[in-house]
Amino acid sequence: MLSGIALQAFPIDSNTLITLLWVASFVAFFFYGARLQTYNALREIGSGLNKLKVMKDKARKEAIDYMVNVGKASGDPAQRVDQFLDYVTIMPVDIDPAGLVNKIDHVVTTSNDRIRAEVTTLLTQPSPVTVSISENLLEVASALNIIHKIVRHYYLLGKKTNSYFTLIQLQMLLPLILQEADALLNAVDSFKVGQPVGDGIGPVTVSRYMVGKEKRVIAKDTVLAITEYKGRKLYVVKADGPMGYVGQPGVAIKKVIEEMGVKPSAIIMIDAALKLEGEKTGEVAEGVGAAIGGIGVEKFQIEEVATANKVPLYAILVKQSILEAITVMRKEIAEASDKVVQVLNRVIEEKTKEGDDVLVAGIGNTLGVAQ
Amino acid sequence: MMSSVPASDKKSKLLVYAIEECPIDGQKTKRAFQVGDYVTKEGGKCTKCGNPTRVTLVYAESSKASG
Repeated sequence: MLSGIALQAFPIDSNTLITLLWVASFVAFFFYGARLQTYNALREIGSGLNKLKVMKDKARKEAIDYMVNVGKASGDPAQRVDQFLDYVTIMPVDIDPAGLVNKIDHVVTTSNDRIRAEVTTLLTQPSPVTVSISENLLEVASALNIIHKIVRHYYLLGKKTNSYFTLIQLQMLLPLILQEADALLNAVDSFKVGQPVGDGIGPVTVSRYMVGKEKRVIAKDTVLAITEYKGRKLYVVKADGPMGYVGQPGVAIKKVIEEMGVKPSAIIMIDAALKLEGEKTGEVAEGVGAAIGGIGVEKFQIEEVATANKVPLYAILVKQSILEAITVMRKEIAEASDKVVQVLNRVIEEKTKEGDDVLVAGIGNTLGVAQ
Repeated sequence: MMSSVPASDKKSKLLVYAIEECPIDGQKTKRAFQVGDYVTKEGGKCTKCGNPTRVTLVYAESSKASG
């Protein structure tokens, strides 16, 4: 009755009604658009967070199962594993940067030693390979645990403060975070059975120069072999395989030069390198400089000793994605080792002469790659 | 939608192989990876000359690529 009177007083045709609705929705989106997007972001991040939780729980379970089934852990290692997952390494203060690298090296070495000692005491069958695989599995579980915690922190913070920009940033980064987490989880399958990973292409290549030669431990988890190539004496360094070690190539190179008194004409490093989208997996690139990733300690040591002794640093890189670097080695990467050998031989021939000493280092995780 | 992992990175069926190579005549044999295999491990006898082979590569390829 009332609406009839109102329509008679203010007659509205369908066009006017549509215009009014359009203006009303425009006003609503103008004032509440951000809130709607916030709800959408919260929903998507919540879903991503659930996926991350499943991933970190699976990685934790895989680590425990490996330690129980293969390492024959005494008792239930679950509690110790959970303690390990929350284990923190406090980086040294950097407001006075002098000597910082040595301090980082000290803290990281202490942390790694402690983890290995704890894993060794947990297992009743602590063969070096089993211990190294347990360490790798725990590192994966720990990385996924940290990723989950950080994403959860920003999710809850954004929710609590209703911060549109915090949530939108997290929502935009989430696909990349999930991709990295997925790569980590996939790495578990390779680690469990001791298969070489893409990052091991450097060790795979240099192992060809070391087979049948006498090897000796030159630094922690790192071995050296001396061989010859076209009249040059090659000092070949890699982490001690087939354990899942990365070794200390920086310390090893320093020792060869400073303690053994070798004066190399070149240091040639072979490593995996992250490819950019669009680049082909297994592509081989050449360059100069210390080809080594990680926290920076090893790179600093190598650059320092090379600079002090004026030894040129050459790099040979094999391109791959982060997923390919930490999961079982793909065919394209493995087959690139033939090309790397060709490039390495050419660099040795071009940059050094007969009678010279040459240092060759295969950088990367040496799981499933002996020498 | 935005939080999904790109389709190309979703788990595809990968088969892992070990390549045994004869150091004398270079004859290569491809076989399925077995737990305990590693690069430089001594392999079986060469199908051509009977000398002991060595594992030179361990790699994965998708089941589609390997046929």
